[in-house]
Amino acid sequence: MSMNNSNASRRGFLKNSLFAAGGLVVGVPLSACATASNANSDGKNFVPDAFIQITPDNVVHFYMPRSEMGQGTYTGLTTIIAEELDVDPATIQIHHVGAGDEFTNPEAGIQITGGSNSIRVHFDPLRQAAANARAGILNAAAQQMALDVSVLTTNNAQVIAKGQAFNYSEFVTLAAKKDLPTDAKLKSPKDYKYMGKDRPRLDGVSKSTGTAQFGLDVDFPGLQRAVLVRCPVAGGSVASVNDSQALKMPGVKKIVTIYNGVAVVAESYWQAKQAAATLDVTWNKPEKLASFSSDTGKKWFEDALKGEDLEDAHEEGEGEDGLATAHKVVSAQYWAPYLAHSTMEPLNCTVRIENGKCDVWVGCQSPGVAQGLAARITGLSKDDVTVHSTFLGGGFGRRVYSDYVAEATAIARESGLAVQLIWSREDDTRHDYYRPASLADFKVGLDKDGSIESWNVKRAGPNTMPYFLDQLVDGKAPGFMPTGLVDWLSKRGYGLFDGLSVDESSVEGLFEDYDSQHKHVQHVTVDPGLPVGFWRSVGHSFSGYFKESMMDEVAHAVQQDPVAYRLAHTKNNPNLNGALKLVAEKSNWGKNLPSNHFHGVAAHNSFMSSVAQVAQVSVEGNQIKIHKITCVVDCGFVVNPDIVKAQMKSGIIFALTAALYGEITLKDGAVQQSNFHDYAIMRMNETPEIDVHIVQSDAAPTGVGEPGVPPVAAAVANAVFAATGKRLRSLPLKLS
Amino acid sequence: MISFELNGKAVEVDVSLDTPLLWVMRDHLKLKGTKFGCGMGLCGACSMLIDGVSTRTCILPIAAVANRKVTTIEGLGNPQMLSTLQQAWVENSVPQCGYCQSGQLISASALLNSNPNPSDQQIDDAMSGNICRCGTYPNIKKAIKAAAGQQLGVQTFDPSQPREGAEV
Ligand code: FES
Ligand code: FES
Repeated sequence: MSMNNSNASRRGFLKNSLFAAGGLVVGVPLSACATASNANSDGKNFVPDAFIQITPDNVVHFYMPRSEMGQGTYTGLTTIIAEELDVDPATIQIHHVGAGDEFTNPEAGIQITGGSNSIRVHFDPLRQAAANARAGILNAAAQQMALDVSVLTTNNAQVIAKGQAFNYSEFVTLAAKKDLPTDAKLKSPKDYKYMGKDRPRLDGVSKSTGTAQFGLDVDFPGLQRAVLVRCPVAGGSVASVNDSQALKMPGVKKIVTIYNGVAVVAESYWQAKQAAATLDVTWNKPEKLASFSSDTGKKWFEDALKGEDLEDAHEEGEGEDGLATAHKVVSAQYWAPYLAHSTMEPLNCTVRIENGKCDVWVGCQSPGVAQGLAARITGLSKDDVTVHSTFLGGGFGRRVYSDYVAEATAIARESGLAVQLIWSREDDTRHDYYRPASLADFKVGLDKDGSIESWNVKRAGPNTMPYFLDQLVDGKAPGFMPTGLVDWLSKRGYGLFDGLSVDESSVEGLFEDYDSQHKHVQHVTVDPGLPVGFWRSVGHSFSGYFKESMMDEVAHAVQQDPVAYRLAHTKNNPNLNGALKLVAEKSNWGKNLPSNHFHGVAAHNSFMSSVAQVAQVSVEGNQIKIHKITCVVDCGFVVNPDIVKAQMKSGIIFALTAALYGEITLKDGAVQQSNFHDYAIMRMNETPEIDVHIVQSDAAPTGVGEPGVPPVAAAVANAVFAATGKRLRSLPLKLS
Repeated sequence: MISFELNGKAVEVDVSLDTPLLWVMRDHLKLKGTKFGCGMGLCGACSMLIDGVSTRTCILPIAAVANRKVTTIEGLGNPQMLSTLQQAWVENSVPQCGYCQSGQLISASALLNSNPNPSDQQIDDAMSGNICRCGTYPNIKKAIKAAAGQQLGVQTFDPSQPREGAEV
């Protein structure tokens, strides 16, 4: 265990004056069991990734290393330190941090919020750090008051001694001079005041009064608005532009061409938008993508599955050979389309380049990459680029990418003006890093009793990793590397990655959950060149639908109850088994349904959590109506049950949008959808009743933001099958 | 020059008459609480009360509000003085990312103003113009029901006038 008082100015790992107000500053190590030297002895090996500060006014500050995009980490992480520090979470001042190596996500190795891991990876380190800080304050109080530490207790940021209360701040100066304990005893769960309880979100007030600051709300004198016109086919560049009319429009300050389009910079957004509409641009379009249209393009995927280029991704038992002994083989092919993220806040970024410094204001999931990209585009060193983080108006994986940061920086550089680049909804729908389209082919071999004995699946589709790598290399490459080399490396990433290994997120979730003696997973990359990326639950967003629909097909093929059949095949997967049992109970599985209502079940592990869902559905004509979703989640210990339930509902509604409406299609490489009229989002009147139950658990916390998504489409499709006998093997679900 | 009443105060703006109210508010008057979501009247993020009616302002030219009463989220209450509805929003942890919530609160205020005790169906009808990508609909419904019955109509709030109200 390690613990550190860090004197920020001496340590030098924080370039800004975050901690100017003084008092006790505690760095939280990357992991609770990290061994590191003491910060007071200059902390050579100590790399903290969050900070707690107690200032002389007795205010506790938390410098939060992760981004808040709705998932509740702002409240969750703060509650964790509040508990061990013994401070009311509502009184803690929470600060978004900018970019810095000290805020690296311990699992990802870069500063990123994603993978549903914020609570999971920070739980132990934050608790221990807060407990150590409290113990340090108690030790200082004991010394200062010449009392034995055993007679002291704490209550809400105060030390209680002989019935009298003293603010923590009275002891922080002394505490800061001493070594903090490194392994203070943690509270026992029965003594928790804040954790494990439904408590209001700490960002509730600001977000209910319009006072929470999002990236779009950043403003200062002299700031101009920019609108960028991009090539309709991703990856294209400007061949020629006629801007003569736009230049005459009111408010227009500059029109500049950057690597991927033409930007109009004007005094206000409306002026920029009006002027941008008059630009006449011709494009150099990337050939491969421009030759892809959705109506014929699915054949690319089908042909690939039949072709020679399949690579092995996973094998158990005798792999595919296991099929030889099967009594019966059930086969089916499933399709999922490209999807956009559609975060409610359109992408935006504000950049000011002045006096050799660059300031970037952005709400994003990877501030470190944003900083690196801005440094590369401005030619400044990373130390001269400051990222100011805001709340995110939705992330869902979209704001992991920093394309809009790069654009804004390039526009600021070319125009010489401070700019806020604002994407329109049309830009957002047409220039995403889409959830990859995927085709999967299953062959499931059964023994003579109808049990699964071999599970074979092949997936065709694009990989997300090369597109991420592209930005990562651009954003993280050390400054001394020549630009040409970085370009080469980043483009080379595609080839490198395809050649060396199968992208895990391309096949995750297709095969892990159910017991089978033999398993074989193969992959073939089909990538028309439309950028793809992490979309809430990543590979599980399609594999959950594929695998759970297939499992249902198999259960029906042997005339077994879909819940019982799943239970029989989750002997090695106790959490999923438990979630299934509970969801069957809570949904009253198959019982007491109104006459034309039907149940469908699905269950899926992702982000180390287990989720089982039952959909209650009726079908009238070709209309699918969803009446209710019952959901059970096992995500280990729960810091705030209310937020976990809200996240399950959020994931379910997000996934219902995809299940019923979501489809991005291309014509000659250009995305055809544009706004909410042709890319619909579920509305309140379409939302079913959702009933969430949490499995009581003392296990370590696991993911919550994403795991609600994967089972939904399959639960609905399986209910539609129960209602109609029709198996819907393609998303979005449509009866015809 | 267009004059109108904004959150209880007279304002004048000098902008091109076709500029949507949303952008006048954000870019000229610098009130940032109202959000931009789609620019096509499809999502409700930009909702304001115009003479008490929840209205999408991303497609409403400024000329249309001449001499009318406009209420934005800033006019419903503030962190020190929440309206009953905002209080219910906080207690029910409605916001997730929070971006759509100004628009949601405006539509919910208009609903409760005209119908202090709405049914589920009436809530659906009044709120279905407001998209929430985070899927906060169940909690929005809960909060509206909690606020209904606690209030008779929604008072609008003049930031310059202290008044009785729920404190945070
Ligand atoms: S921004 Fe006005 S309705 Fe969407
Ligand atoms: S709270 Fe995020 S869009 Fe509604």
